[in-house]
Amino acid sequence: MNVLGAIIRPMAKCGVDDAGECVTSSPLLPEAAELIYGGLASLIIFFALYKFAWPQMKKALDARTARIQKELDEADAAESAATTEVVQIRQALGDIEAERARILADADAQAAAVLADGRARIEAEVADLQAKAAADIAAARGRSTDELRGEIARLSSAAVDHVVRGSLDDSTHQELIEGFIARVGVGS
Amino acid sequence: MSDPRIDGYARALFEVAAAEGTIDEVEDELFRFARSFESSDALRTALTDEQIPVAKRQAIIEDLLGGKATTTTTQLVSMVVGSGRGRDLPAIIDQLVARASSAKHLEVAEVRTAVALTDEQQARLAAALTNATGKQLNLKVVVDPSVLGGIVATVGDTVIDGSVRTRIDQLKSRL
Repeated sequence: MNVLGAIIRPMAKCGVDDAGECVTSSPLLPEAAELIYGGLASLIIFFALYKFAWPQMKKALDARTARIQKELDEADAAESAATTEVVQIRQALGDIEAERARILADADAQAAAVLADGRARIEAEVADLQAKAAADIAAARGRSTDELRGEIARLSSAAVDHVVRGSLDDSTHQELIEGFIARVGVGS
Repeated sequence: MSDPRIDGYARALFEVAAAEGTIDEVEDELFRFARSFESSDALRTALTDEQIPVAKRQAIIEDLLGGKATTTTTQLVSMVVGSGRGRDLPAIIDQLVARASSAKHLEVAEVRTAVALTDEQQARLAAALTNATGKQLNLKVVVDPSVLGGIVATVGDTVIDGSVRTRIDQLKSRL
């Protein structure tokens, strides 16, 4: 007899309490009927669980699996999209660099053209101004000469007037009159 | 083309002077007055200013000509000024002189000198100009100090210029 049997058996032996009912004396092993009932109840519960709860659980698990799969697919798609976008961005960056280089080249060309044009225009304006200044100087010189000539003429005229008026006495008047009469008479 | 009104006034003045029998004297006096009128700004302004009453303008004429010109001359000038044709006075008188000369088959010769000519000089000058132009002339002498010296004679469109003024002007042009 092993120790466990020595312990279980006395405990399973039915005793009599104060009311005369048999009571199990083992604290570990239930009564045989209870085992049967318990087993049957367990089977019923297991069956009910298998019959009614399992499909719901399986359905929930399937749905969860599908959702997870879907999320995995979406994540894959997002990753692909992100990869594509990365490629596009990198390509765009490359395009931007090329565009930047092209714009800078254009700007350089335009700046050179504007500079050349401005230089040519300024040179033309300077030449024009020089020509105008030369013409103005020549005109001013001409005006000064004319003014000087006019002033000399005016002064000379005034001097002639003064001298002539001073020299026109009565005898001179008579000489002029007689000279006129004589010339007209001779002219006829 | 002459103005009919000027012609009309000239004809009227001529007829009045002819009727009075003083056409030669009146013509000569009017000619001298016209030249004075042209050369004097003050006289021209006084006789043509509409702000001055007609009576006062006629009184000025009376003061200027009274005792120095014939009554006919004074009255004719006064009549022209009184009728508001003072501005046309020289043109009217020139027409009158031309008409009077034409009546005598003469052409007007306007002579400008710095000093007055003697009668003898006028006669010799008239003869010289008649020979030069081939026309019988009615000599009108105007004393014009602006001539300075010598003579400027105008017969119709012909100008014979022997004035000192013109010689000085030519000298100025050359200068």
